[in-house]
Amino acid sequence: MSRIDRWFEGMTRQSARRVSRRNWLARFGGVLVGGATLPLLPVARAAEKHTVGEDGVKGREGDPTRCEYWRHCAIDGFLCSCCGGSHTACPPGTQMSPVTWIGTCRNPADGKDYIISYNDCCGKTFCGRCMCNRNEGERPLYHWYRNNDINWCGGARAQTYSCSTAVVVKTAQEAQPEK
Amino acid sequence: MKLPVAVLALLLLTTSSAGADSYEEHDYILNCSGCHRIDGSGSSVVPALQKMPELSGTTGTRAYWVQVPGAAQAPLSDARLAALMNWLVKRFTGQPPAPAYTANEVAQLRKTPLRDPLAKRTSLLR
Repeated sequence: MSRIDRWFEGMTRQSARRVSRRNWLARFGGVLVGGATLPLLPVARAAEKHTVGEDGVKGREGDPTRCEYWRHCAIDGFLCSCCGGSHTACPPGTQMSPVTWIGTCRNPADGKDYIISYNDCCGKTFCGRCMCNRNEGERPLYHWYRNNDINWCGGARAQTYSCSTAVVVKTAQEAQPEK
Repeated sequence: MKLPVAVLALLLLTTSSAGADSYEEHDYILNCSGCHRIDGSGSSVVPALQKMPELSGTTGTRAYWVQVPGAAQAPLSDARLAALMNWLVKRFTGQPPAPAYTANEVAQLRKTPLRDPLAKRTSLLR
């Protein structure tokens, strides 16, 4: 134990003799500023591709309040992320419809297709914010299971449509056949 | 020592490729679960697949399960629908269909749609 103490004491005295306080402050400041600017480098931005989102899906989260967000490839309605909820949760006072429109979207971060469930949130009047109408892979009304003009609140307690979520169910083995 | 390793590797390879090539669960989630839900419990507007055992063993049920609109009109080839039906019947009734559905049988059944699925179900239960 005393040997470690002696070694540490020696190191401390040596550094006190060699390094001035100003030098130490300058270096420490450099480390602080350098650390803060690291995420601005392109290398750090490329590494974001490997981050994992809230539901375990790889890729940069992007902006779930925009229609261009990758999970919204077939959305038709108001984004719950703009209405007091999120892209996976309903706003307070609404109920998630148990029946839903299901399709696939490609995640640009890993190039994989994911099965997306566009569960509607029901029970309050329509939200009216962030209206999106992308409809990729949508089919006419006679293919009701791939049509998003139906009121999918049909299976919920209250049938008033409020907004739509985009929940990742699973990795898809292939893109939906309509694409 | 080398042989068991080789056997194990072969086993791993076959099981992993079998998993990657089977589309039943994928097809179920994409084409059925939106309305029937992942666990098959249905809702106030869609029949529950969990109630399939009520019909199993009845004459005509085998054809009915493929002729219902959701199955017959699914955007799947006859072979993929046959595989999905074999998987689905086993999952919700506990017993695989015997004999298993084939692509030819499914193709024939799809050609004769049901005029009134609910009336057909009632007649099967009688």
